[in-house]
Order: sequence, then structure tokens, then C-alpha cells
Amino acid sequence: MRKPFGCARNAIATAALGAVLSLAVQPAAGQAPAYKAPRGAEGKPDLNGIWQALGTAHWDIEGHAARAGAVVALGAAGAVPAGPGVVEGGQIPYQPWAAEKRKENLRNWLAADPEIKCYMPGVPRATYMPFPFQIVQTPKHVLMTYEFAGASRVIHMDRPDFESPIDTWMGHSRGRWEGETLVVDVTSFNGQTWFDRAGNFHSDALRVVERYSALSRDALRYEATIEDPKVFTRPWRMSMPLYRRLEKNAQLMEFKCVEFVEELIYGHLRKQPGKGPGGLR
Amino acid sequence: MSHRFLASLGVLAAVSLAPAPVAGQTPAAKSKKTAAAKTWTPPRTPWGQPDLQGIWDFATITPMERPKELEGKDVLTAEEASEFEQRTLVQRNPDRRDGGSQADVGRAYNQFWWDYGSKVIGTKRTSLVVDPPDGRIPPLAPEARQRSEARAAVARLPAAGPEDRNLWERCILGGNAGPPMTPGAYNNNVQLFQAPGYVVILNEMINDARIVPLDGRPHLAPDIRQWRGDSRGRWEDNTLVVDTTNFTNQTNFRGAGRNLHVVERFTRAGADTLLYEFTIDDPMTWTRPWSAAFPMTKTPGPIYEYACHEGNYGMFNILTGARADDKAAEEAAKKGTR
Repeated sequence: MRKPFGCARNAIATAALGAVLSLAVQPAAGQAPAYKAPRGAEGKPDLNGIWQALGTAHWDIEGHAARAGAVVALGAAGAVPAGPGVVEGGQIPYQPWAAEKRKENLRNWLAADPEIKCYMPGVPRATYMPFPFQIVQTPKHVLMTYEFAGASRVIHMDRPDFESPIDTWMGHSRGRWEGETLVVDVTSFNGQTWFDRAGNFHSDALRVVERYSALSRDALRYEATIEDPKVFTRPWRMSMPLYRRLEKNAQLMEFKCVEFVEELIYGHLRKQPGKGPGGLR
Repeated sequence: MSHRFLASLGVLAAVSLAPAPVAGQTPAAKSKKTAAAKTWTPPRTPWGQPDLQGIWDFATITPMERPKELEGKDVLTAEEASEFEQRTLVQRNPDRRDGGSQADVGRAYNQFWWDYGSKVIGTKRTSLVVDPPDGRIPPLAPEARQRSEARAAVARLPAAGPEDRNLWERCILGGNAGPPMTPGAYNNNVQLFQAPGYVVILNEMINDARIVPLDGRPHLAPDIRQWRGDSRGRWEDNTLVVDTTNFTNQTNFRGAGRNLHVVERFTRAGADTLLYEFTIDDPMTWTRPWSAAFPMTKTPGPIYEYACHEGNYGMFNILTGARADDKAAEEAAKKGTR
């Protein structure tokens, strides 16, 4: 049985709690799959490895038809591929103001998306960007390290009462095992990250409960329940498989994108604006 | 919380403080690599490797190079060490008000912001450099000196763009995160993780997670270059040896070029002590290889997120200031020609 959400903050959260309880009784979605992963240290399922999502959730977590891209010069290479969506029930339950804000985000994508500026992507977005990430599992800490921007986070497995003293981009992660499933409770976000390139967003009240369980040796089921009473009318859930990178030479490569966005961010402050990178290089 | 806006000040402070005075003795040869480890058996992971895991603090006020006035002095006595610590802490204390208003502005970030540590390393050596035995980094090769002078000349001018500032200020590399790691102004913390086949070195500075495969795979092809290079690890008895190559030409560890080769050695020397050693080889940069060694101390942590780039207001301010300098220079020139 899924653990219900913590203290209800207001009427919305109370409604949300009801909704989540009803989600919890749905079969399949939240259930650990029948497959049992090999045991790692201390007898827990071994989820170590380099993983990556396939699909178009990084473009838009909701179902969407293909559409033209925002940069004319990129033509077909910059167009957005279609996808059936990863949000259970199809649509994100935005509050009315937030539905408007999302549309504005989409219109203003190039200027507003934190990914474009090489900012840490937050959770769950880091999981399904078109880059691999690596799970390094130890009894006290599970490290999740992402190729994009070199972002990473430490999941505290040994300190369930450890509250984050500060808000962060990647959130504050506390984990536990529920049978075959690694459950991670992520809180203390700074509210500056998004879910995708389609303007889907949240506030600093975001709480994400992630569930990782092995579907087979080379695939995980990833599920994230999203709660944010400032933005949504109820909690909602997304899910997708994650695939093991099987290449013999698979490794997280360096993607320090700061270098690639300096012109975008600081170009107007150059001695010769518009001339591109200069200096000693 | 971001300490990002400290970075440029931090770099300056680290440079100016490096040759702090000490009191001295005789040179030692190469580091006694596993002397401590011989008397202590490290715990092992369930799959049988020495367990190096934990959060390690490498802050120290022992300078990288032996100060000139300590020439010939290898190790401090307990008394000298304590005196050195006191003196260094007083010198570094930005809360003192004995230098006039200009100095006060330079010390705007007070002690709250810094985390250099307050102790010399346990061996009381007068430098982190153990080889050459004089505790000094070997001289730069001529080509490297030219490179270094060219960089310094650029750094003295108002930056034409972000590329003219150093990699720490640009939030591309953490000043102390390496490889190799070197004690610096703050965020001297690193967490080690081990899983079968991997060690991961997570530095607090700029959140760098360096993933080290242990399966004997070769380095990346020579044409693939990374800011932090490409690391491969292996065990030699109880010591983790990490070999890093494939650096970029701009990585610039103390003036090094793309042929930089770093070999790091991690050895547990006690329940709360991890001995860290590194050897630097780049014949295009230094006239001979050199090595340093220092212990790290277990700390409860946690490692905090360091959102350097995300909070880099410093770069806006630096470039805005540079443009204001340009304008002032232009106006002064106009006046001069009138």
C-alpha cells in the first residue's frame, strides 16, 4: 500500500489526499512488477547501472502531435516529435491560473526554459532528458548522477527524519525500500525548474515521490507522483520505462553546458557583442 | 545557498595566501605511501574491496609549496606548527581592521564565508608537495611560461567576454575539485561512493561527480577531450589508483596543457583518515613530474548542492564592470585628444 501524503496544507491538499488514495487502489500503475532484480549489497534489489529514458517526454510530458520547432534554421532537426504522453489520465490537473501560465511558458519557451540556460534540471525532469544517468547504490546513500549539466543528487537512505536546511534545484531526497521498489521522497525544491520543454511547471511547494523498480535485467519502471497544492488541483502521476545502456563502453560523458550558453547569457556584455566567443581560446 | 559570488575573491585570496610564512627543516624523499595503512586494516565492501566511502574534508592551511623562508625545513615541530596556525589565522582573518578603508573593502567577505580550515596537515610537513623533496613545484617549461604569462596578461585587462575570466569564475571547474583535488578557500569536501565496478568522487565544489570505472577499460580515444579529463581506476593492494588523461588544453591545472596526466592514490589510513596522494606529469608544462600528499578527515556532511552557474551573478557584474571600464577609458582618451 502506498504511503499517503504528509500533512494536508489546505483544502486543496485535502482533496489531493483523497485523489491519491483513489490512485493508490488502481491496479498495475503503482504495483511493483513481478520480476525480481538480482540482490545487491545488503540483500536489496540491485539497480546499479547507466539508464536512460526513450520517448518524447523531455519535449512534452503530455500527449502531443508533432509540431514545428522554435528555431527556423534547425528545420526538421529542430521539430518536436509526437508522443502519447507519460501523464497518467492524459492531462495535468492545473489550477486555472496555472493552465494560463503554462501556455505563456510555452509561448515564451526559448527565453523561459531553465534547460536552455544549462541550469540543473530538477526532479523528475532529470530522469527523462535525452541523456543517460547513473545509479550508484550503497546502503546509506544512493547517488543519482546525470550527464546533463553534471547534475547529481544524493538520496539519503539512512536518515528518514533529515529535513533539508535549504531549498535546492535538484531537491532533497530521502529514500527507502518497499519490497522490490526504491521509493524516493523529494522535497525542498526552489521552484525554478520545469517538467519539460513545453512549459509544464511547478512551484517551490513541489513534492515528488519517485518509485524505481526493475522490470527486467535491463529495464526499470519509473513512476513519479507529483504534489504541488499551489499549482495543481490534485496530485498526479507520470510513469515510463528506463532502459539500461548496454554498450560495452557506455559511460556518462562530460556535458558541461555552461560553456555552450555563455554567448546566450552574457553575449550582450561582450566588448564586441555579436562576435561570439573570444578571448584566449 | 550559493557562495558563488565569492569565487573571484576566493581565487585572489588563495593565490596571495599561498606563500604564507612558516618555520622549517630538512627535505624528505618520496611519500611514505602506505606507512599508516600497514598498521590498520581497512573495512571492506561486501564484494571485497577496501571501503573508502564517506564524506572527507580536505581543508588545511598547509600551503601547496614550501614557503621560501622555510627552505631546508621539511617538517614543523608541534610548537612551530601551532605557532604557524595562529599566525596564519590572524593573517587570514578578514574581520581585522588594521589596513584602512581600501583593505576593509577587500575583506568584505568576512570569516563567515571562508572555510580554509585551521590546522596544518597531520604530518606537519611544511608543504603539500612531497616530491621534489624541496617541497616546491618544479619550474615551468619555457612554452608553459609563455602560456601562463599570456593568460596573466589577459586577466589584467577588463574582460572582453566570459572566456577571459578563469574557469572557476565561469562555473566550469571548481577551483579545488580537480583532478587533482587541492585544498582551497571553501567547499573542501568530497564524498566517495563505491558500487561493483565503480568509484564515484563527488566534490562539493561545483557538484562535480567524477565516475571512475574499475573494469580495466581503456581511456577514451585521444581526440575526445573533457574539462576534467577521463578517469580510470584500479586497486593496488588497499590503495585505489585513479589515472586521468584526455584533458582539454584549457583545463589549466596550474598552467598544465592537454597532455596533463594525473595519477591519484586513495588509501584508508584509519577510521577517520584517508590519505590522498597525487602525481602530476606534463613534460610540456613542467621540467619534471611532481607529487603532493595530504590526509583527508571524515566529516558527517552532508555534501550540499552548489548551484554555481545558476547563481553566477558575479559574471554579470564582472562583465558589466569591464564595459564601464571600457567606457571610462574611451572618455578619458577623448578628453586627452582635445
